[in-house]
Amino acid sequence: MPDPRETRVLLEHAEDPALRTIDGYKGYDGYATLEKAYREMEQDEVLKELEDSGLRGRGGAGFSMGKKASFLPRGEMAKYLCCNADESEPGAFKDRELMQRNPHQLIEGIAIAALAADAGHAFIFIRGEYAAQADILDAAVAEAYEAGYLGTNILGCHRDLELVVHRGAGAYICGEETALLDALEGKRGNPRLKPPFPAVQGLYGGPTLINNVETLSNVPRIVAKGADWFKGFGTEQSPGTKVVSISGGVRRPGNYEVELGIPTRELIFGLAGGPEEGHEIKAFYPGGSSSPVLTPAELDLPYSFEAMAEAGSMLGSGSIIVADDRVSIPHMALRTARFYHHESCGKCAPCREGTNWTVKMLERVVRGEATPMDLDIISSVQENIMGHCLCVLGDSMAMPVSAMVRKFRPEFEEVIANAGSPLEEGEQHAVVRGPAETLGASI
Amino acid sequence: MSAEAREVTLTIDGREVTASEGEMLHDAARKGDVEIPYFCYEPKLGDPVGACRMCLVEIEGIPKLQTSCSTPVRDGMVVHTRTEQVKHAQSAVVEFLLVNHPLDCPVCDKGGECPLQDITLGWGPGKSRVIDDKRHFQKPIELSPLVAIDRERCILCYRCVRFSQEISEDDQLQLLERGDRTFVGTFDDRPYVAPFHGNITDICPVGALTNYTYRFRARPWDVEEAGSVCTICPSQCNVSFTVRDEQVKRVLTRDNAEVDDGWICDRGRYGFEMFDAEERVVGPQLKGGAAAGWEQAIEAAAAGLHRAGGASAAIVGDASNEEGYLVQRLLREALGSPHIDSRPSRGPGREALVRLAQPELSVKVRDIDDADVILVLGTDPLHSSPILDLRVRKAIRRNGARLAVATERPTALDGGAEAIARYAPGAATHFLAELAVALGSDIDNIASPLAETLRGAGKVVVLWGERIARDGAAELLALAAALDVAATNGAGLLEIPDTTNARGLREAGCLPDAGPGLGETSDASVTAGMTNASLVGKSTEEIRAALESGELKGLVLFGVDPLRDFPDSKAWEAALTAADFVVCFSMHENATTAKADVVFPLETHAEKDGTVTHPDGRLQRVRPSASRPGDIRPNFQILSELSTALGHDPGIDSQPKAFAALAQAVPFYSGITDSDIGGRGIRWQDTPAVANVPRASAGAPSSLGTSSKGRGTADASGALPSSSAKRSEGAPALALGTYRDLWAGPITELNPPLKFLQPQQRAELSPADAERLNLKHGDTVEVGSNGTGVLARVAIRERQQDGVVFLIEGTAEDNANGLLNGGPVEVELTKVSEVRA
Amino acid sequence: MNWDPQSETRLPVDPAVREGRVPDRRSEEIPELHEVGCPPELQERIEALMARYPDRKSASIPALWAVQERYGWCTPEGIRQAAAVMRFTPGYLESVASFYDLLHTEEVGTHRIEVCTNISCWMRGGDELLKAFYEAGEGEDVHITGFECLGACDIAPMASIDQRYYGPLEPGEAVTAIEQLRAGGEVLPEKDLAARGLAGDTGPGGPPTDPTTPGGTGA
Ligand SMILES: Cc1cc2nc3c(=O)[nH]c(=O)nc-3n(C[C@H](O)[C@H](O)[C@H](O)COP(=O)(O)O)c2cc1C
Ligand code: SF4
Ligand code: FES
Repeated sequence: MPDPRETRVLLEHAEDPALRTIDGYKGYDGYATLEKAYREMEQDEVLKELEDSGLRGRGGAGFSMGKKASFLPRGEMAKYLCCNADESEPGAFKDRELMQRNPHQLIEGIAIAALAADAGHAFIFIRGEYAAQADILDAAVAEAYEAGYLGTNILGCHRDLELVVHRGAGAYICGEETALLDALEGKRGNPRLKPPFPAVQGLYGGPTLINNVETLSNVPRIVAKGADWFKGFGTEQSPGTKVVSISGGVRRPGNYEVELGIPTRELIFGLAGGPEEGHEIKAFYPGGSSSPVLTPAELDLPYSFEAMAEAGSMLGSGSIIVADDRVSIPHMALRTARFYHHESCGKCAPCREGTNWTVKMLERVVRGEATPMDLDIISSVQENIMGHCLCVLGDSMAMPVSAMVRKFRPEFEEVIANAGSPLEEGEQHAVVRGPAETLGASI
Repeated sequence: MSAEAREVTLTIDGREVTASEGEMLHDAARKGDVEIPYFCYEPKLGDPVGACRMCLVEIEGIPKLQTSCSTPVRDGMVVHTRTEQVKHAQSAVVEFLLVNHPLDCPVCDKGGECPLQDITLGWGPGKSRVIDDKRHFQKPIELSPLVAIDRERCILCYRCVRFSQEISEDDQLQLLERGDRTFVGTFDDRPYVAPFHGNITDICPVGALTNYTYRFRARPWDVEEAGSVCTICPSQCNVSFTVRDEQVKRVLTRDNAEVDDGWICDRGRYGFEMFDAEERVVGPQLKGGAAAGWEQAIEAAAAGLHRAGGASAAIVGDASNEEGYLVQRLLREALGSPHIDSRPSRGPGREALVRLAQPELSVKVRDIDDADVILVLGTDPLHSSPILDLRVRKAIRRNGARLAVATERPTALDGGAEAIARYAPGAATHFLAELAVALGSDIDNIASPLAETLRGAGKVVVLWGERIARDGAAELLALAAALDVAATNGAGLLEIPDTTNARGLREAGCLPDAGPGLGETSDASVTAGMTNASLVGKSTEEIRAALESGELKGLVLFGVDPLRDFPDSKAWEAALTAADFVVCFSMHENATTAKADVVFPLETHAEKDGTVTHPDGRLQRVRPSASRPGDIRPNFQILSELSTALGHDPGIDSQPKAFAALAQAVPFYSGITDSDIGGRGIRWQDTPAVANVPRASAGAPSSLGTSSKGRGTADASGALPSSSAKRSEGAPALALGTYRDLWAGPITELNPPLKFLQPQQRAELSPADAERLNLKHGDTVEVGSNGTGVLARVAIRERQQDGVVFLIEGTAEDNANGLLNGGPVEVELTKVSEVRA
Repeated sequence: MNWDPQSETRLPVDPAVREGRVPDRRSEEIPELHEVGCPPELQERIEALMARYPDRKSASIPALWAVQERYGWCTPEGIRQAAAVMRFTPGYLESVASFYDLLHTEEVGTHRIEVCTNISCWMRGGDELLKAFYEAGEGEDVHITGFECLGACDIAPMASIDQRYYGPLEPGEAVTAIEQLRAGGEVLPEKDLAARGLAGDTGPGGPPTDPTTPGGTGA
């Protein structure tokens, strides 16, 4: 039995393993909406439902899904749809759950969204680490082709849709929509200059709609039950339900689907069971590792896009990481910085060098080889990164790191004062190959 | 930007600037004298990447700063480049770029001419806050035998890799790894060997990429830059010589969008050490290489040529217009002989040349950029005029031009071609006839795919190799007519000749049947004082035969090496031996100079003063930049002294006079002055003098054929020997095809840094033929044809037609010219068991 | 100062500049098929992959996966074979491969263990787990590395073993896992992510037993 505090829409019946198969899915009216949409609906009707529903992107930016789809130019040119299943932001694991438990819901959502975008080719870009989920998707896609929900002349409606599951190979940056396009085009996953935006000039230069797994998984029900039904959930600016990933210092980490706008405390304490016996929450990332950390004082904020933005943070991908009172914030800042340093694509200077420099400084801080002045330099370097990069990966480090230094400065100073604690050698990361390791002559 | 782009007005730092719509903000700012610092931006490389973030500016109405290199101007835009916000961003970016930069300026070759240095000074924070250690690489290491890479200095601006991927398209130079571990490298750390790779040292904004040929040779403040033109090949790229103590130390590009687009090939860049190679002829020599004084040498030469008199001949190759002009006067006036040519074997007659020279049929290099279809005919630009290879790639990549290729041998451009046709060696004429048929009807033949691409195409630019017109001038003109290039703006023919100043020399009168300005040889000005009855002289191959038979006695060779570069080396050997008297003007000692009675030194393009004419009609100025080694004198001076000694003072004692005389003799050069030519050159077609171009005689072209009865114009059917019945027992015969490899020739022998590129003879075979002859890649074979044979390594090439084997012309050993005889040649391949080192 | 440009003796000029240098290997353009000896099945596989996309270039990453499956890692030979089939330069494919963490351009063991050391796992002992795996033995055959967030913070601390997720893991389980791996048997079945139910569900796999005491670097 689902926890009563959840509102399962996307995760409805998710406990049933049979849901993975097309028969199991159809057992719960699966693909009925696709048939309706393809047989009875025009592109604009679908678009309208999506726009009216106010569905906001679940991948991080929170941009209106319907609006984005409506940006695609009309006309004969080849158009594309990309499902962003790269889910690599620390703390996020909701797309994994959705794909693993209900792959057909995503496929149906993609097929209907393709109708709205008039796309003839769709791709699911799934991170290479999700091999098991990719296998599940491959099987499901095969079933869908088999059943005639994909391919040419779908349901005899003279509409075609090719769907390819494309496995990434391990690079967080490929979640950035334009880097995703480059990766999908077989290149190094570097972000592109915007404009032009993907909706106008994306994959292979054609108009391209890019949406997150959860966003697209919402599509079938919205088209089936209507925008008003969807707006019945959540808040005015954050309609619908959200699958929230909760992890870190809580008793029951995992994915919980709730109406947007419920108190954050309800999520962390109610659903995830709160911190362990005898411990307290010290801070938490409300929306993945790139969201500025919040303090227990902010636990009662409604969990919605607008409330989090107001609190100077963001809902992002809807992933909460809880740090209890045993966690050293300076070390957590270092972990965060290291991640972005490791994942920076290296194309633009502020991100490439800023993340690397920040890591070096934070390492000195935790080793106690820094002075309080270094904290000012760290903050100013974050300043220098923000708004100056090619994409927002740089900012994604700068925001949380500067927030931690700002909100927990005394702790940083204390760590410096107490000569810090040595980095345990376990703290090494994915090995770097190449000449970078060999030290050479000076000229 | 297309010419008709709309003008827009914007404000930058309070100044009103007008720019053409779509232009990048950065360029507009430059126009308005607003300097915005930048690293990665380089319009020559195509679309901006916006990687370095140095060029951020504030645009009213947009909250975030924008990169001016990638933001197109809009009407009414208000831009600020010096606000606090922008200054803060600029110094932040400089600081970031230096976080991992070694700051080893004192020992860096770029010091003093380094954008990073300058921008750090101008926009940087002025003090460093970085105390953490920097990333280390092994340095410097060999990126190629010619270029050193220092990865610690690299700021990852993407320029070099974009050059490799989007300009030369060799796609060998790559970024490896990710993030701040990223470095510039190649597959498996192999050397980056590609014909244009030296250009990356010009565009690298830091000291990361430096030339081994220049490292630690000089500092910017003790060198001078001197502009000239590279005359190593017909591309005639504009170059700048870095000169120190009157010696060339480095060759840089001298951006000329009309000629080279700001790139040069590695021959031009690294081929300067030959200027003072020990093989260099540094003074007059007599038979056997004995050094002689000038008077003595001139006397000897004059005496010898006087004896030969009207039975003398001259062949001109690497020469300026003035030099060519003076040589033909020497022959025609002083010696009274009509036998002068400037082509390796033979070529079309005057009538055809006049028609081909008509302005409406010709295009300029720049027209390639905007062509709808480019037809590459009987040439591989990469080998014959490298810089045009880049032009064609640019036209395809950036402007969507379509490419059609019709050649004997696979070309470097095949990859981007929409239609490809291969014809048998020597069967070009036959192919053109087929193409005419295919264009005019829907009959299916080997030219149909090309016709498909060409039919209805708007602007067609035809790049044709000189050899096409040897026997096929009429067919070529017919094609031009069929494509109606005359009536289409920006459409036309562009010849890629075999020799560097071919066009200039023809126009200067170095032809057996035409005088200066392609004038009739009956013209009094040409024949003045001509004792010899015949007005039409012999072509190069006829001269050779006549020398052998003794009909001709004296020979003047000016900047040519027949024994290496002309077909039928054996026959030339015989001809030079038979000749009574040979005067050879040469830059370097070679097999030919060894057989000469008198050898005069020639100036290089870094030393001489004169003009050359680009294949598209552009007169360009070669300027003296370095001092002449040894006892070398200006070439024009030697020629006029020699002529004077023969009793005909041409009255020319200075370059200006030489040019004036030329411009007077060539009607369509008349009125062109030195300042018209200036640093960028001028096409005579764009001057009033164009009116004086000789018009083709009306009516059906008489004798459009070759200026001489060309020997066997391939077998008419253009069919391949292997398919024709003829078989000698054992291995079936293959048709022999030859080509001039980019790296064949003295350039790779006289310039130590280029030695490693010296090509070893290879026999290129199709997989099918290799299989049939059971030969493997790398086997050594003897390629033989009636008695003569050369050794070669088998190279299997998938895109090559069956029935043909290709060899390289002009190699130091096993030169394919030894097998050629002016007509089609069949060869047999026999495997040589022991493999030569 | 002004020295004799001819006498480079005073200047540290690489003598090779005067003699010219000869590269020990040839540079690598697009190799022709007959040069690379690509196994037919690999060639077919890559050609099939190219057919899936509107532009053959899109098959780069899948093709490199195929090469890695065939040879255990992206060997230079394998890359050349893929390059010959796809008609790209090997350099291009190596550049792509080296960008991605899961494509190995250097030899690695046949078994791969990635241990997450990112925030959530670190809080719950990811570092200790990684150390335990190192101690349990990085041999020829097993390649162990710390890794960024693998998208399974709910089972922190976790590891991906041959592309399957396991967690939450006790440091002690490292030894067991590697033994089972080498024995070719099933690995830690009860810790397999696939065996878990939804966090909010009671019943099979239900709410996780109370988390392992956090390790991390608690102050
Ligand atoms: C560095 C970076 C990483 C990102 N990673 C992801 C990701 O893993 N999954 C995702 O759906 N969106 C990710 N995004 C957001 C995408 O760029 C894009 O906004 C989103 O996929 C759009 O889909 P949506 O509108 O449905 O949210 C990332 C953005 C950035 C800047
Ligand atoms: S080597 Fe030079 S040109 Fe190439 S990326 Fe580095 S700085 Fe730019
Ligand atoms: S010059 Fe504009 S970003 Fe580099």
